[in-house]
Amino acid sequence: MNNKLPITRLGKFFSQDDFDINIQMGQEYLHGDLNMKLVLYRVDRQKTDNDDVYAEAGMDEIKFFPPVEFNALVKIEEPKNSTYTKGLMRYNEPGNMTLSVYITHLNDLGVDIRYGDYIGYADSEERLRYYTVTNDGRVTSDNKHKMFGYKPHYRNIICAPTQEGEFRGV
Amino acid sequence: MGIPKRKNMINVYGDKETYRGESVLKRRQELLDMITKSDSFLPDSILHDDLDKGMLDYIKETFKVVSDGVQIPVIEKILTIQRWGEFSANWEFSDGDGNVKLPFIAIIRKPDVQFGSNPAIQRTIPDRYQFHYATVPTWDGNQVGADIYKIPQPIPCDISYDITIVCNKFRDLNKINKIVLQHFSSRQSYTQVKGHYIPIVLDTIEDNTPMETIDGRRFYMQNYKCTMLGFLIDSDEFEVKPAINRAFIVNESLGGATFKRSYIGKSIDITLSTIISNGTTTTYSVGESITVLFNVSINGILQQKDLHYTYEPIFGGGSSINFNGTPLQGDVIVVSYYKGNNNKMYDQFGNELTVARETFTYNGTNLVFNVLQKISSIISITTNGLVEYSDEGYQLTGKDQITLTSAPVNGSTIELVYLY
Repeated sequence: MNNKLPITRLGKFFSQDDFDINIQMGQEYLHGDLNMKLVLYRVDRQKTDNDDVYAEAGMDEIKFFPPVEFNALVKIEEPKNSTYTKGLMRYNEPGNMTLSVYITHLNDLGVDIRYGDYIGYADSEERLRYYTVTNDGRVTSDNKHKMFGYKPHYRNIICAPTQEGEFRGV
Repeated sequence: MGIPKRKNMINVYGDKETYRGESVLKRRQELLDMITKSDSFLPDSILHDDLDKGMLDYIKETFKVVSDGVQIPVIEKILTIQRWGEFSANWEFSDGDGNVKLPFIAIIRKPDVQFGSNPAIQRTIPDRYQFHYATVPTWDGNQVGADIYKIPQPIPCDISYDITIVCNKFRDLNKINKIVLQHFSSRQSYTQVKGHYIPIVLDTIEDNTPMETIDGRRFYMQNYKCTMLGFLIDSDEFEVKPAINRAFIVNESLGGATFKRSYIGKSIDITLSTIISNGTTTTYSVGESITVLFNVSINGILQQKDLHYTYEPIFGGGSSINFNGTPLQGDVIVVSYYKGNNNKMYDQFGNELTVARETFTYNGTNLVFNVLQKISSIISITTNGLVEYSDEGYQLTGKDQITLTSAPVNGSTIELVYLY
């Protein structure tokens, strides 16, 4: 058995080489043409000084690994006009952000995105909005995430906007 | 039903000072030591997070269930809305997808904490009144005193928890159910928070197993709903105040009226005029003519003529004392004098009296002092300038002898002013 896990499907018509060249073409468009950059703040869960009982950290107490820039396809939902209670105390904040990122790209950068990590998205030249990962998209065992049923090639990561009291980057 | 007998004076512990073989007082001391901080006499604060920690410890120590040779892990944190924190609490037993592996036990606290139903502490005392907790002796190197420690009544609070077990074996459910029923067979079980026993009551047991899922994943999930009957003690509300320190303040009050000193059947009127200094004036008048001036003292300290004050008799009698310095405001000036019609003094038998002033040095042994003349009346006796009082500081023990009642410091100067 050549492979630890015997992936033999489509081997005759769609090989690893074909898979790689498709990824390269996709990255050329996503990284080269669109070049949508985001910043990943991976929470250092060991060094973060959190509460013994609730595992909570206060403002600016979350320690994170060095921020990493990465490319992804970004889709942000419309802002929601909401209130906290009975039509009172209005708030309006961005909708959730869904990122589509190549698994290869994350492997090349040597990073992983986990539930609870933070991501910075440049709203403009002056403002970086922060989101927290609510679905890290690690489970990709579906047809949608596989290239022609060969193997997964991207992850969909869903993020929710976060408040400055929880995280505000560097 | 007969009339119930009235029970008086129920002695819970019997006549003995032991209960179940243990000394009652010893047990009380143990309980007190448990709730008292090591570095003070006050108890520790018990706040919400302490109670939650007590619940976590209780579950961790009590809900020990072994499944397939491995103890079912307990997520040792109260799960909150910070997403990254959840992963930090359960990463040890998560799989490659980041999911928590079955079986596991989690503790979910309801965010709302209600006013408590702990029967020991209800709404009994309004306005956070401070109660006496302890009186602690103090010593600052000079004074013995005491600090009064006061604390308010603890605030009862009920905290609800869901202890959730998620597993995939019926046998695991049975094991944990047995443990829970055993521990709550008397309705409540106890955890210990900073030495205090806190009761936990089992409310209900709910099964939330998705049994109807025919196509999806199957697992068992049961919730044990508990309420902790806790209470809050906040050390910020403690009050430590010094008690009234006892200090001995001796005021010597000589009075301002004329009084009579008697000795050997003879008597003479000596006037003590008391004046309170106003802090600015240096000259004070007794308001009448002084025939013979005996002494002037300030706050009981004898003043020396010509050094501390001057007195100029005018035609045999003046009324004013001139101080060389200014007495402080409130100082008590006492002028001791004889008021007569001329500059001579006579006793009731018509004998002329003369003022004598003699000085002795205490040698450390002899408290008896003999004077040169037979004493008619004593004007004053001072030790190192401090006035001694008759019968308290000295006694007349002979016609020409006085005896001090207590020994002064060796080498002290005793000055005796008397009439003969």
